[in-house]
Amino acid sequence: MATTATAPVYAGAEEHAESGLWSWLTTVDHKRIAALYLGTSLFWFLAGGLEASIIRAQLAFPNGKVVSAEMFNELFTMHGTTMIFLVVMPLSAAFFNLLIPLQIGARDVAFPRLNAFSYWVYLFGSIFLNVSWFVGSAPDGGWFGYTPLTTFAYSHNLNIDFWVLGLQILGVSSLAAGFNFITTIINMRAPGMYFMRMPIFTWMAFIVQFLIVLAFPVITIALVFLQFDRFFGTNFYEIAQGGDPLLWQHLFWIFGHPEVYILILPAFGLVSEILPTFSRKPLFGYPVMVYSGMLIAFLGFGVWAHHMFAVGMGPIADTVFGVTTMLIAIPTGVKIFNWIFTMWGGVLRFTTAMKFAITLVALFTIGGISGVMHASPPADLQQTDTYFIVAHFHYVLVAGSMMGLFGGVYYYFPKFTGRMLDEKLGSWHFWLFFIGVNLTFFPMHFSGLYGMPRRIYRYDVGQGWETFNLMSSIGVIFQILGVAIGFWNFWRSRKVGAIAGNDPWGAPTLEWSIPSPPPDYNFARVPTVTSRYPLWDVKSPTLTSDVPHSRLGEERVDVDVGGHHTGKVGRAIGNPPGGPVGASTRAPGSPLTPVPPRRLPTARELGIPMPNPSIKPLFVALFMTLMFSSLIAIHKDKVPLAVALVITFAGAMTASLYGWLLTPLEDEH
Amino acid sequence: MHHRFRPRRLARAALTVALAASPLVIAACTQYPNSVFHARTDTNRDIGFLFEILIWFGSIVFVVVEAILVYTLIRFRRRSSTTRQPEHVHGNTTLEITWTIIPALILVFIAIPTVRTIFRTQSRAASDALQVEVIGHQWWWEFRYPQYTVRTPTGKLDTVVTANELYLPKGRTVNFTLHSKDVIHSFWVPSLSGKRDLIANHTNYLWFTPDSAPSTAYNGFCVEYCGASHANMRFRTFVVTPDEFQSWIAHQETPAAFATPLPTPTTPTPVAGPNAKPTASAAPGGAPAAPAPAAAPAPPPTSVAQAGFIAFPRDSMPAYTIPKTPVPDIQYSNPYGDPARGAELLMKGQGACLGCHTIRGNPSMIGQIGPNLTHVGSRTTIAAGLYPNDDQHLALWIKNARKMKPGVLMPTIGLNEYDPQLNTTTKAGLTDQQIADIVAYLRALK
Repeated sequence: MATTATAPVYAGAEEHAESGLWSWLTTVDHKRIAALYLGTSLFWFLAGGLEASIIRAQLAFPNGKVVSAEMFNELFTMHGTTMIFLVVMPLSAAFFNLLIPLQIGARDVAFPRLNAFSYWVYLFGSIFLNVSWFVGSAPDGGWFGYTPLTTFAYSHNLNIDFWVLGLQILGVSSLAAGFNFITTIINMRAPGMYFMRMPIFTWMAFIVQFLIVLAFPVITIALVFLQFDRFFGTNFYEIAQGGDPLLWQHLFWIFGHPEVYILILPAFGLVSEILPTFSRKPLFGYPVMVYSGMLIAFLGFGVWAHHMFAVGMGPIADTVFGVTTMLIAIPTGVKIFNWIFTMWGGVLRFTTAMKFAITLVALFTIGGISGVMHASPPADLQQTDTYFIVAHFHYVLVAGSMMGLFGGVYYYFPKFTGRMLDEKLGSWHFWLFFIGVNLTFFPMHFSGLYGMPRRIYRYDVGQGWETFNLMSSIGVIFQILGVAIGFWNFWRSRKVGAIAGNDPWGAPTLEWSIPSPPPDYNFARVPTVTSRYPLWDVKSPTLTSDVPHSRLGEERVDVDVGGHHTGKVGRAIGNPPGGPVGASTRAPGSPLTPVPPRRLPTARELGIPMPNPSIKPLFVALFMTLMFSSLIAIHKDKVPLAVALVITFAGAMTASLYGWLLTPLEDEH
Repeated sequence: MHHRFRPRRLARAALTVALAASPLVIAACTQYPNSVFHARTDTNRDIGFLFEILIWFGSIVFVVVEAILVYTLIRFRRRSSTTRQPEHVHGNTTLEITWTIIPALILVFIAIPTVRTIFRTQSRAASDALQVEVIGHQWWWEFRYPQYTVRTPTGKLDTVVTANELYLPKGRTVNFTLHSKDVIHSFWVPSLSGKRDLIANHTNYLWFTPDSAPSTAYNGFCVEYCGASHANMRFRTFVVTPDEFQSWIAHQETPAAFATPLPTPTTPTPVAGPNAKPTASAAPGGAPAAPAPAAAPAPPPTSVAQAGFIAFPRDSMPAYTIPKTPVPDIQYSNPYGDPARGAELLMKGQGACLGCHTIRGNPSMIGQIGPNLTHVGSRTTIAAGLYPNDDQHLALWIKNARKMKPGVLMPTIGLNEYDPQLNTTTKAGLTDQQIADIVAYLRALK
């Protein structure tokens, strides 16, 4: 609270353009970068969904003829690669960007320009990966890219080149963001925001960043080996030279299994925010939720070979990896029960966000149970590489991650845009998607156990798989309808949705104490945090009953709500606690209290130094992507051209990087 | 406020799904020929026992969790009249310890039989086991029987080798040695055992005993993604009686031979469907047996007619093992073929078949890249289980394999055929008459 009082009077930062293309290209504001991540990843979600829809069209009937074998292989490779690297990870990153600074009471991330750089690398990397479609060589080695199929001896065309280079580029983005968020969370928490007071989403994000910075170097090494094999004639994986195909598999899955938790923990975090708000109860067993998240992440590094039971590792390795995998079920089960008991005794409001969150709890359980089935190696040998596995990880990633992330979109859309998503459209989105997901993926358990292998572009009649495949394909239609309605809702509500106000849901954490969308400086006054649920302390101090949110004797509350200091006991702004939500502004008699439009003070007026916009991160990202892409010319037998291009773009990248580093982040003050 | 009461739908959906699931599992054995629940081997019975534990515990956990969840959603939903403020409970150590310990106990009950099964199924195979070497190729299977040796035309000792069709005697443990010539493949007969990968520069093992398997045919699949025609890399496994197996392997040990073609209607049947009957030589009690002299280098091969079990009778093949893959658009006039002329064409290197294929008994056919064709006429399918082995399909296959099976290494051989990999039309190649002759010869190689 002393922050403003003792703040030095800064020379005001320049006023920056708030809109227009240039403002987006140069932005270093974590909230705008979050919006860019959100928009881009949702776009790729449509692309990945289109790929999946074609796959299901091909498999709807036996001996399908919608696409060729080669095209099918490209489709499932790109579907997996897209959904993992271009959708779920960056969609999570959208929430990391938006929420980490807001939840810990910071004004931005630790390295705002590095943050912009991460986004641009992601954008250019994703474009590079998908350019392959237009040159007729989309990656076709599976998202797992097993050698020797992906070595040059068995893949002469550019397909795998795009994949290797694209993943390398995207890895840079994830790693840069990972270090950025770790630094942010450790260093930039508001006064009183002890680790064990951090919102659970930030906790999960924190854990995920450690997974990223520990797991991505492993895939980077694996990819460097493959890249060198393919472009420079090394022999890490060349079987004709004695290369060991299992080297790739071990490296890939040492990355690949933590990656699974990189994909699911952010959704767990979002659900752990949504459930308490709409139950009007604190998260049940907050410390256990934190520790179980850590435990899942830690164990996640010791189970990679359960993806490899069929490679013949021997009984000892099978036993070890089987048992460690089973252990992960324990902390995961704890999370499920803690979520249920968060709702137990609450006053549940079934908003769209809540429905998505509850569905994660309900359906992730199915993915968890089939996960334990895989943990038994002899049984796994009858499951792995069949549709049973496809069912399992789609329950985890679609019914788990995507449900959680969609819930997150519905929950945080007001904070992104200042407007509510339409609850009626949201309900349609949810129910159609819910039906579609179950209809698509549940029958796959059966087609798998009845012997249908994965990654086959056609199957013969009379194998006992027709009904299940048709069901799966029909399910996709429901998913498409649901997603179409949802995206229409996102698009429309961004302009015409009901005005949200600071805190439309009656939520407990700091991000809801400031306007929606927040001003560039987030907090006019950096709050002092005394509790895990500061806003509940403000708005409903009576809620705490016998177990206080904050330590006894500590000053309860000191937060800014809507740019105004609330004082000791706050008055509620926005919805009254437990009030109805989601009604349209234009609906007569809407109980929602829109915050009257009023000008927020600018950072300059408040004397808050803010980072200047910069185009240089975009340039560095662009030249880096071009540098990697130039390697493609080697396989067009234009080695001198490739060398010239690589040197040129490396030079341009270095120059841009110097330009970036020599420009101060903020104006002098 | 009944319309707000949506969780009930969720509950209903979950319940419906769960109920729909149980009868499907029970119905598995009749309707689902490739089901992993067929307990036809010792290994699959062990795995089935594990599945039983897993599915039971899984179902219980599922029902309990969803029931508590749904009950919570119903009981604590906000009613319009609610004014109550929830009690702010932060946790309950006893409860949390309880739901840590219960899953841990369940896992113990799963882990113990799991570990026992791991060590049982991965122990050393019985010493008297039938040895079979499985070699993966893009995209077909090579099966070798190293306990049964033969002499090659060049006088070298070799093993009995066949492609895409595996014969196993009932009641005897079979020990597979698995490796790959190129990319990773995975060997899987779901009705008999779990899968095992075939990896270059690695040797893997897998054994099981088809002890309660009736004499029948099973489908096998490649289950590790291996490139363009991964979906088209299938095989058949025939479990036969020990006597039948002995008869089959004895026949496999003999060199290639073909019976003089019967003047029966191999002629213009436009599309030979799954009903195509093999030529009469497979029928027992036909012509008298006359074993061919081993490694006789005599070109035109001697006419031999076999008796006894030399191949699984096509009449007894279950429907699901007869491929029904649609045939791509390839024009073929289907003339009458003469096997002697076909043999001669191959001898002279027409179509370059000898570059890749071996026919033991035909001294010029010593290629090592493609499947061994010594007894190709006795096989029920071609192209790794993709098409039935009949005149029509074999001819189309020879004429334009690359249209028949995407990405396949075998070139397009038919004259003026379009090669989809090279994007050119073959200017030199076999005429329909030559193809028909070769087909007649190959089909006679029982």
